[in-house]
Amino acid sequence: MDFKHPFISWPRLAIYYVLFWVFAAVVNILLRWIAYDIPPGTATVEFFAMPFMFAIIGTSIWYVIKFSTLENNSVFRIIISHVIAASIIVLIWLYFGVVFIKLLHPEPEAYIDNRIPINIFMGYAFYMMYIVFFYAVNYYQGFKEKLRNEGKLKGLIKEAELHALKSQINPHFLFNSLNSISSLTMSDPFKAQEMVINLSSLMRYSLKHDQIDKVPFHEELKNNRLYLQIEKVRFGNKLNPLFEVDEDCLEAQIPNMILQPLYENAIKYGVYEATEPVDVVTRCKMKGNMLEVVIYNNYDSSVRSKRGEGIGLRNIRDRLQIIYNNPLLMKVEDNKTDFKVTLAIPQN
Amino acid sequence: MSEKIRTIIVEDEELARNLLKSFLKEVENIEVVAECENGFEGVKMINELKPDLVFLDIQMPKITGFEMLELLEHKPHIIFATAYDQYALKAFEYNAADYLLKPYSKVRLNEAIEKVAERIKSEGTESEVADKVSNYPREEYLDRIVVKDRHKINIIPADEVRYIESMDDYVMIYTTGSRHMKQKTMKYFESALDPNNFIRIHRSYIVKVEEINEIQQYEKESYIVILHDKTKLKVSKTGYKNLKEVLNF
Repeated sequence: MDFKHPFISWPRLAIYYVLFWVFAAVVNILLRWIAYDIPPGTATVEFFAMPFMFAIIGTSIWYVIKFSTLENNSVFRIIISHVIAASIIVLIWLYFGVVFIKLLHPEPEAYIDNRIPINIFMGYAFYMMYIVFFYAVNYYQGFKEKLRNEGKLKGLIKEAELHALKSQINPHFLFNSLNSISSLTMSDPFKAQEMVINLSSLMRYSLKHDQIDKVPFHEELKNNRLYLQIEKVRFGNKLNPLFEVDEDCLEAQIPNMILQPLYENAIKYGVYEATEPVDVVTRCKMKGNMLEVVIYNNYDSSVRSKRGEGIGLRNIRDRLQIIYNNPLLMKVEDNKTDFKVTLAIPQN
Repeated sequence: MSEKIRTIIVEDEELARNLLKSFLKEVENIEVVAECENGFEGVKMINELKPDLVFLDIQMPKITGFEMLELLEHKPHIIFATAYDQYALKAFEYNAADYLLKPYSKVRLNEAIEKVAERIKSEGTESEVADKVSNYPREEYLDRIVVKDRHKINIIPADEVRYIESMDDYVMIYTTGSRHMKQKTMKYFESALDPNNFIRIHRSYIVKVEEINEIQQYEKESYIVILHDKTKLKVSKTGYKNLKEVLNF
């Protein structure tokens, strides 16, 4: 949560606030001078001592509403914390107000005796106005933040879809798969047909362009099994996909097309560089309120390929961060013989 | 045609191999003498059997088709077969007879074989692969060097290279604990290795920046570089300028 004061993060609001109070001061002083014949000097001192003083101290009310937001707290807690905060702020305000009056007002005793009781009431009224104002600002900021995140998320989903499509028409995958099919049409036409169908299903899934960001886990899993099946036809024994999926995971929700980049990496860095079989293991289970997906593969580190956090992994991390507001949901481990990625997907 | 073209297939995918084999079975003047699953096997079989023609995939485990070519003592005619079109230019720099894009048709394959048959008629069974390779300009810097020591093929990651010394037609590549000979020019390595990490300090030396411990003046206008393990290497005038440029002193 962002505790930064809106006057700092949003300077224009601070300017409006100051202008408003300057305007109020001028009107108040002129009115009292003209209508009640109070000398402008006295009127100015009085205004600055009480209402304007609140304008300064009142800005701190922002932090009170941030600590007692309407969404996360009980009504009772909110009321109690505001009553306490209001009393403290009014007390501080009155103290400074009285000091100010005593220093500058021509008749401080009379003013204090007559005006202070009504000012206590005024202080609480000001406080009420301020919390309404700040809650509105807070709500507006949250709303804008949400819009921004939604836009970013949509961009990332698009990027993931595009990435999936691109990886499916890259020569690594598409043309080599087509070459396998070409070979199978002679040696095993049934298998060739099966592969054409698998390839079609996979591409259809990525072309579906859903704007929904989450899908049931079994759907995502089915799509990735298909992907591995197609690659298995090419790589034969070299690719050995293993699935250990608990029954209760299947209905869990998972962001759309988030797993494919992981399998792609396993094939690109594991299988493609290997002469020995490579196990690509997927292990899924529910851990309390989390779906845990672990994907790992062994690989030969003597064949050096530069690898940093590629586009695929970065996209996954960014999407999890935006959807669940937690950067720690993806864990990458590389011990030079195994490459392992663990995803923790929160469920509602 | 009287004699058959002796052919080796180097291809890591079984299905792709099968397809090529079944195409080649119907071509009269081709005789497949071996099939290899990777570049290591490829080097061994090609040097041993000395075929006229090799069908070569580029992206293979361990070493690529191009890296394999650098290790050959016998230079056959090459037809590349790959799914990637971006290597075509490079393939022709290697004097490839043809470049087949997967999936390819039988007709296209036959055309490629025609070309090879003609080349064999005009040039004989050995091609000029290696000569063209050496000074090939690259778009990316090397991240590994493949060398052959007697019967073993070693893959040296570029950042394990300490320095390179020229020895007539060869270079000697020094790594921590060992050294390897390779038939390449200094000029090749000067342009193929990342110039921010490797500096040509002399006609005979390329040195890795991180290995340099000290640069010492030992005569007027002449310098030596002392490495962390106390090895001393001569620095030429141009070499000193190169050092100055990269190290910024």
